[in-house]
This record gives sequence, structure tokens and C-alpha cells, in this order.
Amino acid sequence: MRRLEVDGIPAVLAPVSGPAHAGLVFRVGTADEPLARRGITRLAARLVTDGGGGSVGPEHTYFHVRGSAAEIVAYLAGVCEALRNPPMDRLAAVRDPARTERDPLPMWRHGARGPGVASYPEWGLPGLGDDELRKWIARYFTRENAALWLAGEEVPEGLALDLPTGERQSAPAVGTTLPVTPAWFAGAAADVVAWDTVVRRGPHAAVFANVLERRMLHEMSDVTRRVHTEYAIRSDGTARIVATADALPEKADAALGGLIDVLAGLRAGRVAPDEVAAVVKLTCAGLRESESRGARLPGQAFNLLAGREVQTLEEALAEVRAVTVTDVVVVAAEAYDAGLLMTPPGGTAGWAGYTAAPAMSPAVLPGRTHHGRGNRRLRLISGDDGVSVAGPDVVASVRWDSCAALLAWPDGARHLIGDDAVVARIEPTLFRGADRVVREADARVPQRLRIEMPPRDRDRIPRPEPARGSTGGWWPLVAAVVFGVLAAFFAGGGVWLLGQLLTGGGGPGSSTAENALVVASALLFGGFFGRLAVTRFRERFAR
Amino acid sequence: MLPAMPPRRPVLDPAAAYPKTAGLREALDAGDWPRCREVLDAAEPVERTELTMIAFSEPGLKTFLRGVLTGDPGDGAAGALLGQHLIGAAWRTRPTARPVRAGPDRPAAFVEGLEAAERVLVDAAARSPYDPAIWTARLRTAHDLRLAPSEARRRYDRLAGIDPHHLPGQWQFLQQLCPEPGGDWEPAHTFARETAAAASPGSFHPVLVAEAHLGHWREEHRRSAAAGRRYLTADPVRAELNEAADRSVRHPAFRRTHGWVRVTSTFAMAFALLDDRPAAASLFTALGDLGSDRPWDHLGDPASVIVKYRKRTGGGT
Repeated sequence: MRRLEVDGIPAVLAPVSGPAHAGLVFRVGTADEPLARRGITRLAARLVTDGGGGSVGPEHTYFHVRGSAAEIVAYLAGVCEALRNPPMDRLAAVRDPARTERDPLPMWRHGARGPGVASYPEWGLPGLGDDELRKWIARYFTRENAALWLAGEEVPEGLALDLPTGERQSAPAVGTTLPVTPAWFAGAAADVVAWDTVVRRGPHAAVFANVLERRMLHEMSDVTRRVHTEYAIRSDGTARIVATADALPEKADAALGGLIDVLAGLRAGRVAPDEVAAVVKLTCAGLRESESRGARLPGQAFNLLAGREVQTLEEALAEVRAVTVTDVVVVAAEAYDAGLLMTPPGGTAGWAGYTAAPAMSPAVLPGRTHHGRGNRRLRLISGDDGVSVAGPDVVASVRWDSCAALLAWPDGARHLIGDDAVVARIEPTLFRGADRVVREADARVPQRLRIEMPPRDRDRIPRPEPARGSTGGWWPLVAAVVFGVLAAFFAGGGVWLLGQLLTGGGGPGSSTAENALVVASALLFGGFFGRLAVTRFRERFAR
Repeated sequence: MLPAMPPRRPVLDPAAAYPKTAGLREALDAGDWPRCREVLDAAEPVERTELTMIAFSEPGLKTFLRGVLTGDPGDGAAGALLGQHLIGAAWRTRPTARPVRAGPDRPAAFVEGLEAAERVLVDAAARSPYDPAIWTARLRTAHDLRLAPSEARRRYDRLAGIDPHHLPGQWQFLQQLCPEPGGDWEPAHTFARETAAAASPGSFHPVLVAEAHLGHWREEHRRSAAAGRRYLTADPVRAELNEAADRSVRHPAFRRTHGWVRVTSTFAMAFALLDDRPAAASLFTALGDLGSDRPWDHLGDPASVIVKYRKRTGGGT
């Protein structure tokens, strides 16, 4: 493995057994994207490869090519040319909705920022302007923010990387929204159980991830179709370990119980020396195999971008071989404590000592209250700090200064997504006078955080529902009493007049016809108010 | 003729039948952990599990057992005992001790108590994954916490992987398979039959067949006494109960090891209810002064109910 430079870009070269390949890496990924620009890196990568792709991860994006020296040179030259002069006329042709499944765990751990953004859909992409895309490319896809790997004997002849200059972009800070760990939340996918954790990166953590997978295979095979763990390093010196179990039908809860037991077993230090020895052997074999294919090179290029030195195969093997049972047990305890568990829909993990990850805000922000239509227990509060939506047992507060995105629908609805992933839904159909809050949100939230959403179907627009057990307030009763009094007055008057006429007492009119008309209209008004009174009375007590 | 004697009340305390129970209880009361371990370590696996279950109703063990676990977190016996004790403590937070299966009323203290037990047991199972007493207790928490059926099945499979004939755990898993009112009883009966068939002649396991029929009878009986009687006296049920008894309590290889009282007592109740007086009488005679509160507690105060039925069948003389 050789360390070199190509056109001022740090590079690493290693011979491989198969066909030659190369990759140009940039320090940009989904964790850099603001929520309102989610997907912009993927779009940029598609644009400069004419829809071919590029691979976008949380912190890195790379353009990978396999082939002859000439093919590698031509491909990378094309990418560099397109990065210098993005072919904006091709933008419409390369737009295409994301097809990969979104990982829900990062949002629960990191909120709607940094790595958490990867859990969200690419809402802002359809409305993304040329200018913003151009600026994004100019900021991140530069010579100073790039590294190269070459898998082959030599640097391909004629290789030139003519990239615009810029600045090295350090990886975004990683925050967490979990106040207590180990934590859990209920996922949306039936038959999937997952867990992730963040630990210090290193060979011991990589070996732990493999021990975990092996243990899951061994102890959960009767309830799962597939189990899998992943070890992903991050620039800040940590690594994310993810474990996923696809349960057999109707066995999701057993898969949850099985995973909880596997994690508890490792945390308790029940790790056998021969188990670690077997995993170390397999990990070393995997490293050797990766080395021969050049599959270790992307990681080495990431290292160069993070200012670390490349690591030779021998160094990597020595590190892994030095991992002991004690190392694995230490990581297991650390991993358990920082864990986040995704249960099947409707499940919980409270019984196993996990704390529910917060799904709502701790408090309602101060401000002006708008009550729900037909349900006074529903409140929308707008103030100088932000917006809260509160109902029985739920509070969603988003502060103006920690708003990650504002989703705006043509029907007037606004959803404010907080940095902590809490969503305050301003639905004008649900609250009295909500238009005022919509105008405030439009004025307060900066344009760059705003996402214009396509029109919603009528049945997606929420309709007010009367609160269960609510009596509907006092107004219908007051109206019923007023109408009842009016009905009694007119009907009573009519009947009295009729009696007077029939007994020959005379009436207010000069003729019998006039008197009859007065009686008829009095009875008519009486009946009309009587009906109104009965309707209001029913409204009040029918619920 | 002899003067009428007051009826003898059966002795329900398991210590009367199993001396080790008294030994363990004394050691627990004395806070003497080495002696507790001595009793438990000397016991057969099923006996050991049954012994750990006495912590369910023994009060005031929490501090002692937690102390033992702090000293040695890997002590599976202490984990199983503390788990059982905490399950019992959770039940004691309820005004009525008898489990009420259905109903959304789940007092917070009850659920929290069960979760505390489960957390102890998760850790105990993590450290001693092959301890059947711990998995038996975890079958209980799975049932009481209303965890999903697939999770209870997984726990049973783990237990069966260690000991395919572990009766205390099978007894507990049968509770899990008994349906909510109106549900399908077939899984419970099938499990009982299969478990009984897999066990060797003269073993305790056919008692599960009787237990399942008694559970089914209770549901019918709640509807009406006549429906209950009709269920139990139907020919297939009667035949199955007799066959189960022949393979168990009435088999020459039946041994009076730990658990025999409850097995005999359960069969006695089944035959008493279906009014097979000779069959019930011979079992009452075999029991002598001994008895078990379960399953008689479903009929009221166990001792009084046993006296009543014993007298009616003319047994126990």
C-alpha cells in the first residue's frame, strides 16, 4: 500500500488480484445536509455522473469506477469536469426519487440534524433551485475536500483530477437527543427489530460487532429470517454499530426478546475465549480478502480525509489479533449502555430496563392559545419562543430558534419540525383562528428552512373530531333556553289570542281576518323557535 | 359406633411433604446463603426449580437476596429466588391475590413490580443461560406482563432446550396457552397431551392433561354449573383423564418425589368433580393428611373444599 498525491489530492494505491478500480472520495454526506435540503448530495452525485450515481454515505461521497486504466482516467476526468461546470441542463433528467429504505434509528438518536437527517424523506428536493445545487457542489466537491484510492499496480497513465479549489470541510458535530440510554422506541416496520449504539472506534469495537452477529445467528435462528450487524466508523473517533433482525412472521416479539437476551448476555461478560478467537480469525480472513480486492482502500481514503495516516494490512491484522476477551467485554458494556432499541410496532422494551425515547416535548411554550374546533382540550399555542400543539397526554413544541424545517402545504397547513425531531402540526382545519399562527410561522421561519409540499388529497386533511366525553360547552344550552323562551312567548300569545277570539273577547286587529293572521303568525314563530330550541338541546346532550 | 370426629384438615404447607422446603426456608430466614446453596445444589433440577418457587410467597427476602447478587452477580440460584420473590411481591400489591386474567385494570405498582422481577431475571438468564429455574420464572413474567405469545414460546423453547421434561416450566407454559374466555382451548390440550406422551410411564407429566381439562372446565363452569358438569363427564374427557392417571399416579412406576402431592391432588380434584368417587377416594387415601392449595383454590378456601370433597367421595380414611 502506497501513499501518494495526484494533482494535489492525497491518494493511496495498492495492488489487487482482480480488475483495477479507483474511487474519488469527498468529505460530504447526508449528515451535512440540512433537513430542508435532504438529498442534495445524492442529486449532485447523479448530476455529475449523468444519473450514474456515486455513493453517498453519512459523511462521505465517492465516485467509484472499475475497468482498464483508460476507462478509469476517462471516468474520473468526466466527473471532475462535471464538478467544475455542473451540467444544469441535465438536472430534470437525473432527478429521481430515492429508492433505498430509510433507517429510522438515526432520527431517534440525533433528531432532525446531522446523522439524524438520513431518516427523513427528500422533501426539499423537488423544489431545489439550480443555484443552491451549484453552491453545494462548489462548497464540498473541491480539491481540498477530496481523496483518491487506486487499486492496481500503478497510477493510470494520463490520470488528471482537475477539481476546483475550496476548503476542507470537517465533519458535522454529532449531537444526541436521547436524555437516557439504553432507550427504546417502537418502529413502523412489522417483523423488524433493530438496535444501534455508538462506541469508540477501534479493532475491539469491530470484533465486538462480529461477536454480536455470531451470537444473534446462534441464539435467534429459530425466530428470524436474517440477522446482520454493521460497524461504521465516523470521523469524530466513534463508530456506530447497528444490529438488525428480520423476524419470521408472527415472531417479531420473540426476535425482540432474543435480541434483548443476546445484548444482556454480552453485557454480563458471558464471552468465551474461543468465541473471540474464532471471530478474530474470521475478521483477519475478511481483512486479507478485502485487501486482495482493494476493498480496504475506501476506508483508507476516508482516513486521509480525516487527517489520519493509512493503515497497512499488517498493522490492521496485528491490531485485530491483539483483541482480548476483556476488550470485547468492555466494549459490550459500553455498547449496551449507549444502546437504542427499535421494537416491533406497538411493542415496548420497558420491561427489560430500557427507557422510552422521548417522542414529545417536555413543556408547552408560553403564548396565545387557540382552541380546537369542537374539542377545547386541543390547543395550539403561539408565542415569542415558538409554537406548541397540546392535547390530552401529548405536547409538541418547536422553538423558532431550533426549527429544522417548515413543511408548507397549499391548503394552509404548516408542520414545524424541531431539531429534536418533534413535529408541531399547525392544521387550520383543527384550530380556531389558526390562520394567524400560519402567518406567524411563515414570517418567523427563514425561507431556507421552508419546504413547499405538493397538494394533499382531501382525505389527508384532518377534520375536527369532538373530544370523546366532551359535553360541547355551554353555548348550545344557552341558545336552547333563549329559543325555548321565545317559543313559549309566541306560542303562548297565539293560543291566548285564539282563546280571546273564540270567546268573543276581541283582538288587536280590526277585522277577523287580521286577527286570524296575527294568531297564525304567532303560532308559526312559536313553532319555529320551539324547533330551534329542541335542536340546540339535542346537540348539547346527544354526545 | 365411634363418636363423630371433626374432619381432619389437610396440611397444605409443602414443607410437610418435602423436608428440603423447610430447610431452605430456615436458611433464607436466617440469611444463611451458603446453607441455601447447599440445599439447592443438592436438589434434582425439577426439585430445585420447585424450591426456588417458595420465594414467591416468602416475605422480606429482597434485601438479603439483592445483597447476595451484589456479591456474586453470577449466582443463578439467587437470581431465580429474587425473581420469584419479586413476582410474588408484585402480586401482593394487588387487593386480590387470585390472578384475574382479563381486564384492562393493571395497577402501575403491579406492572412495575413485575418489571423489576423481569429485569433481575434478564440479567440472571444472561449470566446463567442454562438454569431451568430462571427460565421457569421468566415464563411466569412473560405471562403476567402479557408479553406476546411468540416471546413466551421462545422462552419455553429455551427451557426445553435445557430440559425437555421440566415440569414446573411446562406447568407455567400451559397457563400461557390457556385462552382468554371464549378462546380456543386446542393449543393447551395439544401441548398437555404431547408433553404427557413424551414423558416416561409413571412420571408426573400427564397431570398437565388434567390441568388443561380443569382449566377448560372452569370456563364452562363459569357459564353454568351444568355446562361444567357436561364438559367434564363427556366420554372423551373422562377417558382421557383416566388414561392420564393410569400413566401417572396410578402407574406402578409413580414415585413420591418432589411435586407428587400437587400431581395427586390435581387428579383427585378432577375425579371428584366428574363424580368418579372411587377414583377420587383412592387418591385422597394416597394423599393422607397432605394436600396442595392449587388447583383447589379455584373452588374457594382449599382446605375446606378438600375436606368437603374428601367426605363426599368417602376417601382419605
